[in-house]
Amino acid sequence: MFEFGTMIVTLLAFLIMLAIVIRFGFKPLSNMMEQRRLHIERQIAEAEEGRAQAERLLAEHRELVDQARRESKQMVDAARARAEEQARQIVAAAEAEAARLLEENRKLIERERQEALDSVLNQVAGLTVELTGRLLRERVTPEVHQEMLKEAEKRLGELVC
Amino acid sequence: MTPFPTLFKGTMWATNLTTVAMTVLAGLLVLVFVRLGVRRMDMRSPRGMQNVVEWAADFVTNMARETMPNERIVQWVLPLAFMMLVFLFFANWLGLIFVVDLKIGHPIPWLGITAEDIAKAHQSGKDFAIELFNSPTANMSMALGLAIMVWVISHAVGLRHPLQWLKHYKNPMAILEEITNPLTHGMRLYGNIFAGEALIGVLAGAPMLFGFIPWSLPLLVVWVFYSAFVSTIQAYVFTILMTLYIGNKAHGDHNHQATA
Repeated sequence: MFEFGTMIVTLLAFLIMLAIVIRFGFKPLSNMMEQRRLHIERQIAEAEEGRAQAERLLAEHRELVDQARRESKQMVDAARARAEEQARQIVAAAEAEAARLLEENRKLIERERQEALDSVLNQVAGLTVELTGRLLRERVTPEVHQEMLKEAEKRLGELVC
Repeated sequence: MTPFPTLFKGTMWATNLTTVAMTVLAGLLVLVFVRLGVRRMDMRSPRGMQNVVEWAADFVTNMARETMPNERIVQWVLPLAFMMLVFLFFANWLGLIFVVDLKIGHPIPWLGITAEDIAKAHQSGKDFAIELFNSPTANMSMALGLAIMVWVISHAVGLRHPLQWLKHYKNPMAILEEITNPLTHGMRLYGNIFAGEALIGVLAGAPMLFGFIPWSLPLLVVWVFYSAFVSTIQAYVFTILMTLYIGNKAHGDHNHQATA
């Protein structure tokens, strides 16, 4: 019942078909599946790398933002301090100027008052002299005139002193 | 039983031409199946037959990983295991689809058809016919041939580490196993497929009740479905036993990944 011929020839046929199927069917298939495996592995590695990079970048950006915030706060603080200082200086300068102007004006007023007083005094003196002169020319004797000059000298002396 | 066209009939070298032709046909079907899958092959979005072929390849890969000790031998045996599974699937199914009998009226001596056979058939009131289409695995010589091939491969793999190969035979029962394993391996396949087809033949050829009621038809349908199931299972069983037998003999680094 067992036939060696059948066994040998079918085995040969099977092996030939095996070689053909491997060469034209299985090799392309397994190559493709291997390529896909490598592709997926590469994609996973790239995704992991990308995520790590993204995390690193995010941390970097967060650090940068923090730094920028700190720096801007410092700048604002410095600017505020400088502005306050400037304002104080301006106010001080203005106060000093105001004080100077006040003093100058006071002196001016004083001087003008003095001048006005002086001129009034001069006029009064002139009028007095004129009236007195007119009066004297009409009514006074040389004796009285002499006595009055003396007294005037005396008074003037008192005034000057 | 229907005879086959046979070369060298009556000698040790008898060659069943139907079985040889069906082996080639099953191999061609495997080629067509795989070529349909790898045609318009797409790595990113597999479609249609490519999914089926890839599923088969994955199935065989997992099967080999579960039964073999290391990844190197798995990768080595993968093409053979893939071919064996798909080939046996097609081979076992071939005989279920239909059967071709050729009626012969005159003797053809070189195919082993003698005038005596024809005369004997005619005496019992039948035509003499030869079978041209059946499962190649329904032939004992063919099934045992595959089992012996697996046996030879397993020892070729085992002899890469001769000391470990020899150590296996400290237990004398292992020698008995060397005979029973290939024998049961081949006979299981042959028996299942042959029994399925033999019973299909009997049911299909049964005489009708009162000459017109085909009482055997429901039984035939059930039996064909059952045989289809058995054919599929036997393809799986033969392949997994092949990886198991080769894996048992494969020594070397054991990075066993049964969980893969």
